[in-house]
Order: sequence, then C-alpha cells, then structure tokens
Amino acid sequence: MRPFNGIQVGDALGPVEHVFTTEAVRAFCRVWGQEGEVNRFTSPEAAQREGLPGPIVPGIMTAAVLARFLTEWADGGGLRLLDLIFRQPIPHHLPVRLVGTVTDTREEGGQGLVEVDVFIQGPEGERMVTGRAILALPGA
Amino acid sequence: MSPSLDYDRTLLDKPFPSGPFTVTREGVLAFCRAVGERDPLYTDEEYARRQGRPSLLAPPMYLTLFIRHLDRPAVLKTPVNRRLHAGMAVEPLRPVYVGDTLTATTRLKEVYTKTGRTGAMAFLVWETTFTNQRGEEVARVRDTFMARPEGEADAPL
Repeated sequence: MRPFNGIQVGDALGPVEHVFTTEAVRAFCRVWGQEGEVNRFTSPEAAQREGLPGPIVPGIMTAAVLARFLTEWADGGGLRLLDLIFRQPIPHHLPVRLVGTVTDTREEGGQGLVEVDVFIQGPEGERMVTGRAILALPGA
Repeated sequence: MSPSLDYDRTLLDKPFPSGPFTVTREGVLAFCRAVGERDPLYTDEEYARRQGRPSLLAPPMYLTLFIRHLDRPAVLKTPVNRRLHAGMAVEPLRPVYVGDTLTATTRLKEVYTKTGRTGAMAFLVWETTFTNQRGEEVARVRDTFMARPEGEADAPL
C-alpha cells in the first residue's frame, strides 16, 4: 500500500510505456460484445470509411488501461473518479506513455484523497487522452 | 456562432432503464487479460476470498463495457455519418463482484454544438447510474458522444 503521508503535490506517476496492439484491441472488443463486428476498432476498411487512417483503440479501453496505471501506482488504493477527454484517436501499435501528476492531497473520512492529472501522450508528447482522477488511500 | 441543432428535446432527463447485466467470471478475467490487469483481487478468486471478498472483484472500469448495450433512443433528427466517444467520467461507488446482476438507468443530460476546424459537431451527454441486485448504486458514468452531420463539413446540424 502506498503511504498517503508520503505523497506530495507535484509527484509524478510514470511515465509508463504502453502499446495498444491489434491483438489486445480485438480481445477487448470480444469482451465488449463486438465479436465478429466490422467496425473502426478492428477493421482497416471500416476505419477508412470513417475518415480514419486505420483502426483505433476504443476510448473505454484507454480508460481501463489508465485505471490500471493509476491503481497500480496507488498499490491497493481505490479509484474514486476517472474523468477523461478522448482528444485524438489512438491508432493500434502507436507507442504511447501513461503519465500523471499529483495536483492535490486532502483527508476525508479517515481516507487520504489524491487528485491526479492524467494523460496518454503520443510519441511527440501530444496529449491524446487527458483527464483527472481521484484515488483513495487508507490511513490518512 | 453555433449551428442550429434539431433534436428531440422531450428526451432530456427522461430515464431509460436497461439490463440486467450479469458480471461473469469469464468476462472479468478476459477484461483483465485485454487491459493487462494483474491485481489478484481481479484475477485470483482464492486470493480475493482470503482478503474477505465474496468472489472476484470486477475492475472499476469493467461496467463501462455495458454502456454500448444500454437502451438509448435516437436523439438527433439530423442524419450523422460519424460518431465518436468524446469523453467519459466514471465514479465507482461500491465494489462490483462476479455474480452481481446490475441494472442501469441512463438519462440524456445535455445536447450542444460546436464548430471546429473540421466543421459542425453535435455533443450528446448521457448520465448513467448502475445499481446492483441489492438496490445499491455501484457507479455513475457520464458519457459524451460527438456526432458529425452527413454532407459538407459545415452543414447545419
């Protein structure tokens, strides 16, 4: 468990390198109930019909990966909020970085709450997904 | 100036129930594999029980899988040719376990337009609450979807 008292505003989360592979996106789409569907997440042709250069990663999959990134950092802490804006489509196999910065810490009801700005950055540092999260850590 | 937008205003804040959605062991494990989740609370049932949990815990984003299966009516009267998920806020309120049966109530909260570099876009904001089989609210989700009108990039919505 990450100790709440050791966390300070400005602390960095990551960066953690990540690649959304076609295989992982297909696996995610199967769990999502899209088995066999032709859509912009799995089909180059369907993506191109929508004006995209190729298949993209579902927004909710990026949210799930960011949630994992945050809860792994919290090491046992719980996610209270994840609020994201999907600014740019993320193509398959693009090397991205999961990044966060602590922006606030406070105590509430015996728990330590940590507010974090969180991003998925592209190779040029562009923020493809942006947002904020609140994590709860016990023992404040 | 924002383009005019033709949509069904009677839908605003009207509740649309959906479900039930069952949280399955296979679904949770497959979700964890797809997103690289390794926390044994989500992947190892014996470990979860040793930690005092009734069964495997579902990762906090797991229930977002149900969003696309919600019964939501068509809102825009203008034909659109592209829809994208523009944003999502998830507020987990209680643990969700394998074996839970969830129901959802979704409401259209807001519809607005923006004109960007690529033309007019409509934004639809939906709020959904998920409730478990004991009537406990387990999560709130706020989704924003962006839609583009058919035809020219700057066509009115």
